[in-house]
Amino acid sequence: MSRKSERLVNLTIALLATKRWLTKSQIFASIDGYEGEPDAMERMFERDKDDLRNLGITIEVGSFDPLFEDEVGYRIRPENYRAEIGSITPRELSLISLATQAWQGAVLDSTALSALVKLKSIGIDSDFDSIPTISPTARVSDKNFAIVVDAIAQRRTISFSYLDQNLHAENRVLEPFGAGTKNGFWYVAGHDLDRKGLRLFRLDRFNSEIKVQGKPGSYVIPDDFVMRDLLISPAKANLATIKVRRDKAHLLRSKASTIDEGDEWTTLTVPYVEDAEILADVLWHCDDAFIVEPQQLRQSAITALNELVKCHG
Amino acid sequence: MVKKSSPVEKAARLLDLVPYISSHQGIPTSELASEFGITVDELLDDLNSLWMCGDNRFDLIDLEFESGYVTIRNADTLNLIRSLSQQEVVALLIGLDLVEKGLSADRGDLIQDISALRSKLGKSLVRLVDATPAQDGQIISLLRESLNTQRNIEITYFAPTDDELTQRVVTPLQISTENDRDFLIAYCHSASAQRTFRIDRIQSAKILEEASEAISLSSSEDLRISAKIHITRNLRHSRELLGNYVTGEGSDVTVSTYSSGWLSRTVISSAGAMELRSSSELRSHIADIAERTLALYR
Repeated sequence: MSRKSERLVNLTIALLATKRWLTKSQIFASIDGYEGEPDAMERMFERDKDDLRNLGITIEVGSFDPLFEDEVGYRIRPENYRAEIGSITPRELSLISLATQAWQGAVLDSTALSALVKLKSIGIDSDFDSIPTISPTARVSDKNFAIVVDAIAQRRTISFSYLDQNLHAENRVLEPFGAGTKNGFWYVAGHDLDRKGLRLFRLDRFNSEIKVQGKPGSYVIPDDFVMRDLLISPAKANLATIKVRRDKAHLLRSKASTIDEGDEWTTLTVPYVEDAEILADVLWHCDDAFIVEPQQLRQSAITALNELVKCHG
Repeated sequence: MVKKSSPVEKAARLLDLVPYISSHQGIPTSELASEFGITVDELLDDLNSLWMCGDNRFDLIDLEFESGYVTIRNADTLNLIRSLSQQEVVALLIGLDLVEKGLSADRGDLIQDISALRSKLGKSLVRLVDATPAQDGQIISLLRESLNTQRNIEITYFAPTDDELTQRVVTPLQISTENDRDFLIAYCHSASAQRTFRIDRIQSAKILEEASEAISLSSSEDLRISAKIHITRNLRHSRELLGNYVTGEGSDVTVSTYSSGWLSRTVISSAGAMELRSSSELRSHIADIAERTLALYR
């Protein structure tokens, strides 16, 4: 097993060190580990090339003489291999360390750590004294999230089973564009190939492991795609007038735009997006809150309460 | 606990060890291992592999690590920091988003640093991610600090079920994670009992001067109540509201919870999408509340 990793390192060294194209026969002759029948060596070399490419290493293919294509050669240009990060300050490095700590115990833990050691290799010290003590946490243990990030990085189509509003599992095929988190939920957005449009999915509603299909680079992420636009809260265009008991209904009070304290009842104006959501918030507070306006929302509350009495009485 | 790396993962690590050691000549093996998130044994195995590497026509990499300190020579070809993969950049960008939103507003200098870092790491990927933390990173830090220094902490806690915002002095005992949420288990001096707090509902925290007396974690008694619920509509939404306390397939489920208050509020706020089928006491309790609330509309 370990021979393989050494061979990959040796191959990388040879291809990086060469100023000219290295042919396969030169590679087989000079690098330890390529042994056996010519066919077996060929297969080994093809796999090794794929493995290095999957690590993000660009291997160029070319030939000495464009007129004779029979013997192609390979090389890695140092400028393609090397990270172009420019300079990083000690304070910036500490922020990167914090960003990495966010992943501790979560699915991208080792990915974030390998990024950090690369940046630390620049050889500057961190300056933790200059930043406040905070513990950012990316709480996501769902392996599907790592698959999503891989697929986005490689522009590969994914398919998965997704639970709809009635908990029916449906198969979805998606070109993933972006990912993110809000309120503790994790999301992936992309172009839904069946529904032919941009869709947002919540990771905890996935009902299967994600399957990656298709070749890398099978689509382009549109220039105008911005993940933030999809996760931003919609404008709360509606206003409800709600009466709540004195010192009660903290949740509603925290959402209110105006609070008018009265003796027994306080009047709140609460902005909201959807009827169902504000109705649930008001009902949560039982007989500590009731809706004054709008009328149709008030009527929904009455209907819901009648239904509750009827089926529980 | 440590997963054995695949040959390709190991190769990647070998490539990254070279520039790291070059800029940290003489680093102790234990420190190097922890920087790479591996055990010292794994590291020694890596170094032994690396020592055998090199191009036949050039010299082998010259590594010294028997003393417990690592130095490297003759690795000029590999002494390049490998470019970051898109996955790595995405992980850092999400992390930076979470850091940025955890900073207080007066740290504009750091927010500027973060935006500079974003462009250095990969401008084209920035728009593909967006992360907002579910909880306050400064509060977690304070809780950890009070655990480490064994000091009591004063918290403002919001409990939606009790509709109460309370100030409590607590002795933190443990921070635990369940279903991707963080909880603080603490001895609550206001209640004189052990309590579990959801960290995202702690609205503020302040470490007190007084040292906490030694209190040990007691296993919580199982006082759970169990109820049967029939979901009449909004199946997915209703099940999500019942969260992790629910078992059973489809629309007939069993919910097991410590709090009957939470249960009845959840059923009432479902606006009729859930019907509680047992127990009969809870049923009549819910009917009662609904009746009283209905009276407010008359």
